[in-house]
Amino acid sequence: MINRTFGALGNSALAVVLFAAVPLWFVISKSSELGLQQWQLLWTSRLPDLLWNTLSLAILVAISCFILGVSAAWWIARFDFPGRRYAVWLMVLPLTIPTYVFAHIYTTLFESDGWIGRVWINIFGDSIAIPDIYNIFGVTLILSLAGFSYVFLMAHSALSVSTQTMEEAARIQGASKWQVFTRINLPLLRPAIAAGLAVVILHVLSDFGAVSMLHYQTFTLSIYLQMSGRFDYESAAGLSLILVLLSLTFLVLERFFRARQRYYTNRQSRKHLLKPVTPLVTALIWSWLGLITLLAFVLPLAWMISWSWDAWMADVISSEFWSYAYNSLLLAVLCATFAIACGLPIALFNNRQRSRYSSALIQVSSVGFVLPGPVVALGIITFILSMLPFLYGGLLALLIALVIRFLPLSVQSQDASMQQLTPSIEQAGRILGATPLENLKRVILPMISGGIASAWVLVFIDTLKELPATLILRPTGFDTLPVRIWIEASEEMLELAAPAALMLVIGTLPVLWIMMKNERKYTT
Amino acid sequence: MKLAVRTLLVSSLLIITQFAQAADSLVVFSGRSDKFVKPVINEFSKQTGIKVVLHTGKSTALLNKLNVEGERTDADLFLSNDAGTLQKGSELGLFMETPSAIASQISPNYRAKDNTWVGLSARARVLVINKNNPLAKSVTSVFDLADPKLKGQLGITNSTNESFIAGTTVYMLAAGKDKTKNWLQGMKDNVDGNVFNKHGKIVKTVAAGKLAVGLVNHYYIYRHLDEHPDAPIAIVLPDQGKDGMGVAWNVAGIAITKHSKKRELAEKLINFLVSSDGQKMFAETNHEYPTREGVPASAKVPAAGSFKVADVPMYKLGTQRNETIDLIEAVGMP
Repeated sequence: MINRTFGALGNSALAVVLFAAVPLWFVISKSSELGLQQWQLLWTSRLPDLLWNTLSLAILVAISCFILGVSAAWWIARFDFPGRRYAVWLMVLPLTIPTYVFAHIYTTLFESDGWIGRVWINIFGDSIAIPDIYNIFGVTLILSLAGFSYVFLMAHSALSVSTQTMEEAARIQGASKWQVFTRINLPLLRPAIAAGLAVVILHVLSDFGAVSMLHYQTFTLSIYLQMSGRFDYESAAGLSLILVLLSLTFLVLERFFRARQRYYTNRQSRKHLLKPVTPLVTALIWSWLGLITLLAFVLPLAWMISWSWDAWMADVISSEFWSYAYNSLLLAVLCATFAIACGLPIALFNNRQRSRYSSALIQVSSVGFVLPGPVVALGIITFILSMLPFLYGGLLALLIALVIRFLPLSVQSQDASMQQLTPSIEQAGRILGATPLENLKRVILPMISGGIASAWVLVFIDTLKELPATLILRPTGFDTLPVRIWIEASEEMLELAAPAALMLVIGTLPVLWIMMKNERKYTT
Repeated sequence: MKLAVRTLLVSSLLIITQFAQAADSLVVFSGRSDKFVKPVINEFSKQTGIKVVLHTGKSTALLNKLNVEGERTDADLFLSNDAGTLQKGSELGLFMETPSAIASQISPNYRAKDNTWVGLSARARVLVINKNNPLAKSVTSVFDLADPKLKGQLGITNSTNESFIAGTTVYMLAAGKDKTKNWLQGMKDNVDGNVFNKHGKIVKTVAAGKLAVGLVNHYYIYRHLDEHPDAPIAIVLPDQGKDGMGVAWNVAGIAITKHSKKRELAEKLINFLVSSDGQKMFAETNHEYPTREGVPASAKVPAAGSFKVADVPMYKLGTQRNETIDLIEAVGMP
């Protein structure tokens, strides 16, 4: 009985993973067409720079996301300052803005007649040039602002559910506050922070929008240029293969460090009391959080509103605009739903088995996220045209590609929430006579419903913002908001790009609200 | 639960069947901004009753799509701003011949040898200078941009830009590979971080007095002047005179896809676009030069024929493309 259910679960997990591996298969088969000489050429001409550029960017972004995300989470979860509830919101709102919009806005802000540029000139005059953001630091700035919320979210929910007993024990033993932080809190937080940083780093590795706007050569951009500039699919596939190996190594390492950390918290232990704060500390906290919010949300939003206002006044927002919004919404809802359904068996299987095989399935399911969007799209086109040609041209091809791209978000998030499922709860269900399916419906699903909702929201948000795969795979005449932003922005029609970007933010707010409501269950 | 499953199934079915294109409408994969295509397309639809669906994106990405899709493609026509991309499509065998009765209305220089694509409008690769900057006065050739005295005073686009690649191809064919390589090297030393992702930003920066000179397509200058008539900028048509190689030219053009099932309708559209009326509308919205002889460009731009153009047939922009990219990468242009 047990084995049979395990079998069904395992089989469906395997089926999903095999499907998710289609782009990987495409990459492997294409790059096998590369001769030895071409590999050597790639190795000597491009790889050293690409490796250095990509890795240093990933490390810088990880560091700054860690600083931004953990500091904000710590203060918000532990201190009782006025406006704390709003602060949580302000820290996740940047998720509504895609990286290419961030990049676009910041390049215009830093121009000599942009808002930041003008302030800079007012303060420094012409003696110190306005900082150039077309370099690694500019890209780091943008990817950190766009990504730190993931670290914040994970760290914040971990801090909110953690209990006080261990810290008190350490304090009684004579540990200083700093020692408690570094030796109790950080290790306890490690799985959450690692999961948040993993999402950030995967976003960095697969980012196309910001690096292409700022012309910072990472693997993704170089692969795209090989493909579309030279029609050199083999070299593009070769580079993709290296990128996948790189990312998988990283993921395995991350899992390895996380696997040794499993804590089951005791529900009876005491929850944290929020520390009351003096007005001075409040001012300090708010100036830090305020600075983050200003850069990551207020400035971009103000920019979008000001250009949208111009567009509204000039009456350039046509009825087609609403169809772009509808298309985006349709796509995001469908993709999030399918991604959750497909991710559930993989996460559940891993949660039951905890074997090398089950975690290997999880690793392979993450290829969609580490492969550049255009490569995923190309792999899916090739697969569908050769195997299921009748599907081509409809929305389904795009949907498959997007589900594959964002499956890892769904798997990771559901898998993380299942870690709270202590084996004893499941065992209790079974002892009381529940069948495995009943157990799933009545015990497991309700318990991880928060995780499922978060996963749905994360996939929804990423789909809503997705650009490269949608650009290639969308059915003829099917334009989404990101596609329009991209087209209008590359023609410098800002008054047309801004309303679409604003619409993305507005469209994301309701689902963010759902997620935050979920979050609040733990925090209050 | 059951209801949810059913809803999913029904919606999936809907998705599969949705978005099939109507039989009487033309699908154009367009690498040109909607704003410059829609007016003339709308006029065509009004006159003929033929519906046109624009599928807009980056030229090269759309060509990739066409290439991978093969006979499953929806596209009937392919429209691009770059002759190099069009020629690449011809070489990949993605287009079919346009009947010569239609194609021959355009001069042979502006179309593929085998008529697999037809040029619709031309743009000139020119210099924009700041009139108040004394350094700018001495610049008369694109090769002057490599002069060390322009260090920090020069703005260019990044070297993956279609127009940058096309211009470099023309210089390579007109002035030789070595000279072009040295030129790229000199510009690389001169730009000092002034590498832009948009031509419009170069013009803006030159107008603001931060740079002396920039290498751009001519219409970006007039776009800026439309909005800021008093901007202190001027156009310099480079490499004129007896020994000059002339201005580099590039064309936007259109092709019928090989697997189009609406050949006749597609031909009708091209026929309209090469007619005098169509030509005027297509070029004028963007201050470009019509490729049909006898149709004048907008009065703001230097009249066609009043300046020397480099003698390079446009299809070469495709055949030489990879060699140009190799050269650019060998120099390591930003």
